[in-house]
Amino acid sequence: MNDFLAQIPIFLVFIPVVFSIIIYLFKAKWTTYLSFVSQVLLLIAFFAYLSFWRLHPGDHLLVFGGWSERIGISFFHDGLSLTFSFLAIFIFSVILMYLFKFRRKDHKFFFFFLFLEGIFLGMIQTNDLFNMFVFLELTTVLVTVLISYQKSGPSFQAGIYYLLLNTVGALFFLIGIVFLYNVFGTINIRVLQELIGTQGDRTVVKFAYVIMMSGISVKAALFPLFTWLPKAHGVAQSGISALLSGLVVKGALYVLIRMERFLFVEAGFHMNELFFWIGVVTAIVGVTFAISQKDMKQILAYHTVSQVGIMMMGISQIGLTPFYGGVLHIINHALFKSLLFLGAGILIKHYQTKKVYEIKGALKTFPIVAVMLIIAMLSISGAPLFNGFVSKSMIKYAVKGNFIKEALFFLINLGTVTSFIKFSSVLFGPKAILVKEKNPLQIISIIVLGLSCLGIGLFYQVIASSIFGITISTNLWEISHFLDYGLFLVIGFLFYRFVVKKDYLPFQKIRHFKLTFESANYMFVVYLLVVLGVVFL
Amino acid sequence: MIRRVSLVVMLVIIFGFFVFSILDLEAFFSTFGKDYFFENGLSETGSVNLVTGIYLDYRLFDSLFEAGLLIAAVSGVTWISQHEITEKNATFMLDRQSTPTLFVTFSRLVYPFMLMFGIYVILFGHVSPGGGFQGGAIVATAILILYYIDVQKATSIDKILTIEKILFLTIIGVGSISFFTKGTFFTNPFDLSASEQVKAIYLITLNALIGIKVALGLVAIFTAFLKEGR
Repeated sequence: MNDFLAQIPIFLVFIPVVFSIIIYLFKAKWTTYLSFVSQVLLLIAFFAYLSFWRLHPGDHLLVFGGWSERIGISFFHDGLSLTFSFLAIFIFSVILMYLFKFRRKDHKFFFFFLFLEGIFLGMIQTNDLFNMFVFLELTTVLVTVLISYQKSGPSFQAGIYYLLLNTVGALFFLIGIVFLYNVFGTINIRVLQELIGTQGDRTVVKFAYVIMMSGISVKAALFPLFTWLPKAHGVAQSGISALLSGLVVKGALYVLIRMERFLFVEAGFHMNELFFWIGVVTAIVGVTFAISQKDMKQILAYHTVSQVGIMMMGISQIGLTPFYGGVLHIINHALFKSLLFLGAGILIKHYQTKKVYEIKGALKTFPIVAVMLIIAMLSISGAPLFNGFVSKSMIKYAVKGNFIKEALFFLINLGTVTSFIKFSSVLFGPKAILVKEKNPLQIISIIVLGLSCLGIGLFYQVIASSIFGITISTNLWEISHFLDYGLFLVIGFLFYRFVVKKDYLPFQKIRHFKLTFESANYMFVVYLLVVLGVVFL
Repeated sequence: MIRRVSLVVMLVIIFGFFVFSILDLEAFFSTFGKDYFFENGLSETGSVNLVTGIYLDYRLFDSLFEAGLLIAAVSGVTWISQHEITEKNATFMLDRQSTPTLFVTFSRLVYPFMLMFGIYVILFGHVSPGGGFQGGAIVATAILILYYIDVQKATSIDKILTIEKILFLTIIGVGSISFFTKGTFFTNPFDLSASEQVKAIYLITLNALIGIKVALGLVAIFTAFLKEGR
């Protein structure tokens, strides 16, 4: 029995893949309902494995084919990978509920959607660098198809832009793998971790590190490589946007963590500062763009960029409190950003527009959706009692004691609050007269997300200790937190009222700023050179 | 102009770092993987062609998803290039006037040999250079020559895609048989001490399945592009 339980990670990959093909092959009416069966089976398999893991805690290694670890492909499980696996299954289930009514008769869509789920779960679990590359490529191809699923001109453009830019990144990742294999004769991450520890200070290893990190940075949408993200969000459907922001970007961050925290951790490159500053710049640039946008989805898309920056600020501090804060922020962001996209999607669909200033009165017209959006906005701007607060205050440890860093962190928070005050203008105003579509599954999906935001915000101590085994000593009910947040709101509102709303020329300039594919590649070369310089000099 | 110059300068610097790092490789490398495959490859996988041994046995899991990559790409391309107009053949692309008779004649001559060569590469992938992926590409090329020979030929992409997906499921199934015989996924189901001939059964089956799948996938992509390039 234990033998079988240990093999469950394989099923986590193949259940959705096999179901996706079955749905594609049998084009009867009822087959799309099988996608729910697949989700239920996945959850059962996951919890069976989780209970097995609880009995035998620690690092689980599953080598395929019974070969030695250095030769064969293996899956690897620790607390982090299990958390991400559950997050992936959860977000996919919620988005499936959201999309289901609209896509009920579209078998091909379910094929791409479920196939992506299986691939994503594989990418999280794998312990083999080349296998990771294969999964990265597959996600790129599948996400491209999902982005350009509308089959219109702009969506093709955005899809190809995404495909090409991410392929460039993935190829650099591959070159890095070639180097490592040549040097160490294996591509197993755990084995490599030990080997790099003994002889890491070699130029080849450093070069491999640089190009692998740069390659994966494209997928993680770090500055200045994030340009594909707003383009893709501009054309993708809301459900797909939620998937992209909520999960696919997080997959790249997860790979980054695996590289930084596991593969190269023993080499002692000490790149904490570099990635911290990349995170800061990403956050500031993202939030500046977000403030200037008028399109609802573009605001949210640029916010993903800025939040990725905040996560990087946390993740870069390996092994310290901010690192766990960063990981927790990844989870929280997956929840509230999907919620924002899904809620915005419902509004966009009914109001038939994406413009923030043209949508009015959501609070009276769609009370449930509006309440959930408020929860998400409070979470993302870091209000106490909501989940964003906990992770942000953990990341704050990274800036303590340094005045410039503290000021920058303050600015980022202020920008976030301001742009969501702008976003919240959709809530107020008179009731709009619209034809409402009944879709209980959609409502359930956003309520589930909203409740989980609240749940993590209130019970973060239990969650943090069960995932990371650490205790957080923040007191939620301290009055100063609320005062701080109130201050942010006031300054943010003033800033919005007297600066942002006037729509001065710089904002218009920023709003219409577009980066061509050529420039994006140029930026990639610059980025590569900067990382090279910092690592080698 | 400044941008181009600066780009060239930066690329030269990166290339310099690259060369500088490569120099390190002369003294600092490991032949662990190579040695292992040379010593144990034949006895463990039963494949004389070690590449086949690696992709059908040691790293079968990767090969499954490389096949999966092809499936995703083919489905994506056909989905994107699907049009409302139903055209069953490629007449709009090639008509008899523009295809020289000499070319058609030679295509007819070459066709059977190419097909046979492709099938040979697939089936003998475990003893000589080749395998499912390579042979599949050759077979696909042979089939595509048919477009020159018979312009009226109709190909139903949907049918091809269906067969391709069934084949993918079959490949996963064949790969999983070893769980029931050995208790571990994705390896040769026959015992490690079995003779080469017995192990070859598994290798040939998988190579053939992968070969057909790859050939169908490439034909489907090409047909989709033909319809697109109207």
